[in-house]
Amino acid sequence: MTGVMLAWLIPAVAFAQDGPGLRPGHFTFGAGVQQAGGYDIGDATAQLRGNGPGTLPTPFTLFQATSRFTAVTAPMMHVGIALSRTLAFETAASYGRPRLAVSIAGDPEAPAQELPGETVEQYLFEAGLTWQLPVRTGRRVAPFVAAGAGYLRQLHEDRTLVETGQVYHAGIGARYWLRGGGRSSKAFGLRGDLRLNLRRHGIDFENTMRAYPSAALFAFIGL
Amino acid sequence: MTRLIAMTAVVLLTAGAASSSAYLKLGAVVNGRVVDATWQQQPIGLFISDSGSNGVSASDVRGAVERAAATWSAVEGANVRFAYQGMTSAPPEGTDGKNTIGFLERPDLDRVLGATSFMVDATTGEIYEADIFFNSSFAFSVSPGGQNGRIDLESLALHELGHLLGLGHSAIGETERLSNGGRRVSGSGAVMFPIAMTAGAISERVLEADDKAGLLDLYPTGSVVSDTGGIVGRVTKSGRGVRGAHLVAFNPETHIMIGSFTLSESGEFVIGRLPPGPYILRVEPLDDAEPDNFFPAAVDTDFRVTYAPRMVVAPRGGSSMPIEIQVLPK
Repeated sequence: MTGVMLAWLIPAVAFAQDGPGLRPGHFTFGAGVQQAGGYDIGDATAQLRGNGPGTLPTPFTLFQATSRFTAVTAPMMHVGIALSRTLAFETAASYGRPRLAVSIAGDPEAPAQELPGETVEQYLFEAGLTWQLPVRTGRRVAPFVAAGAGYLRQLHEDRTLVETGQVYHAGIGARYWLRGGGRSSKAFGLRGDLRLNLRRHGIDFENTMRAYPSAALFAFIGL
Repeated sequence: MTRLIAMTAVVLLTAGAASSSAYLKLGAVVNGRVVDATWQQQPIGLFISDSGSNGVSASDVRGAVERAAATWSAVEGANVRFAYQGMTSAPPEGTDGKNTIGFLERPDLDRVLGATSFMVDATTGEIYEADIFFNSSFAFSVSPGGQNGRIDLESLALHELGHLLGLGHSAIGETERLSNGGRRVSGSGAVMFPIAMTAGAISERVLEADDKAGLLDLYPTGSVVSDTGGIVGRVTKSGRGVRGAHLVAFNPETHIMIGSFTLSESGEFVIGRLPPGPYILRVEPLDDAEPDNFFPAAVDTDFRVTYAPRMVVAPRGGSSMPIEIQVLPK
């Protein structure tokens, strides 16, 4: 069984090295857009102290609030340096304006309702690695896996409060070389990413880890 | 020459106020301007009347008052100190230069559990003297776990000491009307809510965020001003300001609730001493309470419960951008 696996992998690696790749020691620049999915940021209940004997009588609910970030499309730029033909270290920055929606329920004196909410300014600065997979995909396309972490900075609408957090991501993607891809030529192409992101802290009612998907498409230039 | 004025604040058993949120301060009008009524000298000396009532001794009263005083003094960021100065045979009323706390037989006040009276310098707002009486027409308890059928004296002392410090009533609370015309508290978000819990309850021995915010506003230590923030805005109906609207600021991250009112015809409000952060704002009329528990003048109660369209941030050391909350008639 081991022999069979090796026999399958080795030709694939050999093929990948002949296919398009990065130029070790050279920079890559990219610009594009990222679409991030919406996600809940928790529930909160406004409770009054209940009236009854003892220290912990049943509380009285004044209202319940649930909130979520809506999906957002954000411009994104990145700079990377190729560490080898298949491995690159990358940094990226994106800016988005998701809407923070709040829903109210359980108010004995008001109907359930969704508030208009606010628009949050969101900056994300990331760093990570991409590794080009040694699989046969054609002369111009090379898939990769990526993982990394980032610093999240969110500003409420009136710009008087900043909440910060971290975003960890892992995903897959592919580069499509329109030009270049060899060891000695400059490159130009398109790139797509699909990620699962785990966000910690930032604006959140419960301060727990939140997961959301994202997809990005951008053009890159390899020097 | 010092010009003194007398003021009284009471806590009610089943008559009076309200629903949902806020701290309100007692004030004196100085040259047409309202200034906070506060103690300028500390520690605030307290005498205890030497008479007991209905199974509760003067020593029991002292214990309950000292525990309540310690609760107010423990508020972080506030500069409040009390000092027990001894027993006195003087009743807890009148002007004698002593701050006296004790029982008084007041069967005529059949819904008043206790009251605080003040002498305030009308030129500065300084409180010179304050007395607190507990109405001995009611049965009180100092049992650590509370006692069925008896009002918890420590809870009542905590409320009245809040008045003694210069706090008015909070409207953070919900009531239901009883067949006898009074009200029963369904829930309360402040010790300074004007209607007492059911006899036997002891949960109001603990201050809420609204109580603490009010105290911090009156007696802040140096860092409080820079460590807290405020939310300012206006409540309007058909383009005109609403007077007497009650606001609750609820932080969904910390779950604290602090309230305020619109105090003028313009409908403007300030919710101060908020821990920095985002807040959901709820506006409601004072329609399930007697508004005179909070305001001497008429208030507008003809509008529906309304929420601010978005969360509003109380920034550290400053105030939010003004927000307008438009309410609709009922």
